[in-house]
Amino acid sequence: MSEDIEQLVHVATMRSARSIRAAARLMTLIENSPDRIPQLLGVSATWPSPRIVLGITGPPGSGKSLLVDRLIAGLRRRRPESRIGVIAVDPSSPYSGGALLGDRVRMMRHADDPMVFIRSAATRGRLGGLMLGALGFVRIMGLIGSDIVLIETVGVGQGEVEITKIADLVMVVFAPDQGDSIQVLKAGLMEVGDIFIVNKAEKPEAGRRYAQLRALISFRDTAQGARLAEVYLVSALEERGIGDLIEKIEHRYRRDRAFWAARRKTAIEDEIRRAILEEIHCRCVEALSFEDVERVLCGEVKIADVVKELLLKIATADLQ
Amino acid sequence: MNSATSSTETRRKQGPPVRILLGKVGLDGHDRGAKYVAHILRDAGYEVIYTGIRRTPEQIVATAIQEDVAIIGLSFLSGAHTTLFKRVIQLLRDSDAADIIVVGGGTIPVADIAALQKMGVRAVFTPGASAKTIVETMKDLLKHRMDDE
Repeated sequence: MSEDIEQLVHVATMRSARSIRAAARLMTLIENSPDRIPQLLGVSATWPSPRIVLGITGPPGSGKSLLVDRLIAGLRRRRPESRIGVIAVDPSSPYSGGALLGDRVRMMRHADDPMVFIRSAATRGRLGGLMLGALGFVRIMGLIGSDIVLIETVGVGQGEVEITKIADLVMVVFAPDQGDSIQVLKAGLMEVGDIFIVNKAEKPEAGRRYAQLRALISFRDTAQGARLAEVYLVSALEERGIGDLIEKIEHRYRRDRAFWAARRKTAIEDEIRRAILEEIHCRCVEALSFEDVERVLCGEVKIADVVKELLLKIATADLQ
Repeated sequence: MNSATSSTETRRKQGPPVRILLGKVGLDGHDRGAKYVAHILRDAGYEVIYTGIRRTPEQIVATAIQEDVAIIGLSFLSGAHTTLFKRVIQLLRDSDAADIIVVGGGTIPVADIAALQKMGVRAVFTPGASAKTIVETMKDLLKHRMDDE
C-alpha cells in the first residue's frame, strides 16, 4: 500500500476526528520507508512546530514512564487547551527484530484524552537511543498542533546521546536505588542532561542520592557558557515536585527559546544527512556478497576496489 | 557474514516489523497469559505495544489508532468477552479503523467462538494454544490482509 505523504498531511492538518489516524499513518510511513524521510522533512518546513521538545532519558528502572505520566497530567491541568505529544522509545531485539514496547502502560489513563497523542517506537537496530525517524515524528506531532512533545528513551551514556540532537531540553532521571548512577554519569550522561532528576523521593536513600548528585554536578560548560546545572528531587509515585518541575521547564523555554530555534534548524539538516547515509549503507549491505569478502581475504582485490565496484553496482541498479 | 548481519538482511527482505497491540479490557487483572504471548510475539519479530490490564474499549481503540497497529489482541479471563469485543469492534468501525484485525484469547468457551467470529473477531486462542499456532495464525491473517489490498 503506497500512501501519499501530501494526502495524509492534508487530513492531519484538518484537525478532524480522522487527523490522528492520518498523523499515525505518516509516522508508520517514515518508520517503514526511511528513504522518504527527506521528503517529509522537506515539506515540514511550513508546519507549526511544538513550543518545547523535552527529552527524558536515564537508566532503566528510574521511573521515567511514570514521571512522563505525571508530567502529562500536570501539563493538561496547567494548559487544558494545549495538545501534548509523547514518543516512547524502546530498544529492538537484535536477534528477532521485534520489540516489547511497554512504556505506554504507565500512561494509559491519558489514552483516550483527545489532546494527548502517545506513540511507542522501537529503535530497529539503530544505536544512539532513538529511532531513525525521531525528528520526523516530532515534526508530525507539531503538524497536528502539539504544544509540547516529550520523548522518552533509555540512556546509560556510552553513545545513547541522540536525544540531545532532537530535544530542546534533556532531563536525565535517576532512582536512588541505582548504585551505579555515578558510573552512569561518568559514562557520558553528564554532558547530555540540562536538568538532572532524582526520582522516587519517597524512598529513604533519596535525600542522600540527591545530595551526592548535587555535589557531583556543579557547573557545566554549555554552548552558552558555564551554567549552573539543575538537580531536582521528585516523587513521580506520590506526585511531589512535578508542579515545580513544570515551572522550571517553562522558565527554561522563556530564557532559551531563541537559542533552541537556531539549534533546531541545524538538527533538520543533520537528520536529512543521516537519512541519506543510512539508505546508502542499507543498499551497500544488500549488494555486498560473500564472494567479495573472499576475494579480499585471498588477496585478489583490495578493499578500496571492492568499494568502487559496490558503489558502481548500486548507482547503476534499478531504483525502485 | 556473521549470524547477526545475515538475520538483519533476512529481516530487511521480509519487510518492516508488524505492530500489534495486546491488552486486557474490563476488570480481570490476571495478565501472565497476555505477557507470555507478548514475549512470544516479540521473539517472532513483532513490535508489541503492551497496554496492561483494566483498560476500557475506548482506551484500546484510541491506542490502536495512535500506534497504527495492524492487529489488536485482547485477553479475557472474565467471561465478559462477547460484550467487550462487540464494543471494541463497534468503536473501530466508528473511527474508520475497521481494517485493524481483532483477535483474542483466554478462557473463552469454544461454544462462543462462532458468534465472536461472526462479529468480526478473526481468531480466538483458547487455553493451550501453542506459541507456534499463535505465530502462524498471525502470519496467515496478515498475509490475507495484504492479498485483499
